[in-house]
Amino acid sequence: MAKHNFLANEVLVQMDARSQNEGFARLCASAFIAPLNPTVSELTEVKTAVSEAVTNAILHGYEGREHTAPKVTMRMSLQDYTVTICIKDEGTGIRDVPLARTPLFTTRPDDERSGMGFTVMESFMDSVEVLSAEGQGTEVVMRKRFSNGQDSAAN
Amino acid sequence: MALRFRQEPDRLVAEVSGEIDHHSAAELKERIAREYSRGTAKDLELNFSQVTFMDSSGVGMVIGRFKDTQTRGGNMAVSGLSGDIKRLFELSGLHKIIQVK
Repeated sequence: MAKHNFLANEVLVQMDARSQNEGFARLCASAFIAPLNPTVSELTEVKTAVSEAVTNAILHGYEGREHTAPKVTMRMSLQDYTVTICIKDEGTGIRDVPLARTPLFTTRPDDERSGMGFTVMESFMDSVEVLSAEGQGTEVVMRKRFSNGQDSAAN
Repeated sequence: MALRFRQEPDRLVAEVSGEIDHHSAAELKERIAREYSRGTAKDLELNFSQVTFMDSSGVGMVIGRFKDTQTRGGNMAVSGLSGDIKRLFELSGLHKIIQVK
């Protein structure tokens, strides 16, 4: 049995693709990583990355499809002080993922979007994978290892 | 999210508190833009000292207000940034075009 298996956990949250759920998703992520005793910085980083991914799903994933009562799912798992967070929508998908990930690129400049969402996710998490197919949706998989794991492993 | 305005000589100060995300940014944009266009002050300062969370939606909102002040020939400043919010400003290069107090 691995050393830190007592922390292993997985949760699945499904929410309406409505903007008020951005805050809800952040709270879920905070609660999920609480057992890792994250630093204030680590906590903010995860909350911000989740906020970006959920906002993308709501804003871009389901544009013009609100009548279909779209959902966003967030799956979080924890293994050996590494958290994996998958944010998934079944919306329009991204035609050109590398372009979408380019800093300052946005399809909605008139809407005061900064185009910094993916850049924020990339700099606040250890890794960010984007799986997307046009017409089928987008899944963002983010991972982050927590420093407390290093500290307590030495104890 | 809550908002309070302070009118100084030729400068409007907007004190924001709470969380700035895509959900709250639209209302924030509308209220600050309305107050600014209603007055005659050229300069605008956004004070973030009571902001508990901000993501890139806040960056977009700040860029929008910066454009408003440019249109009127005024200056834009932000103040009271926490370390995390400062990092967002630096990531997006905003600190190069907007005065950080």
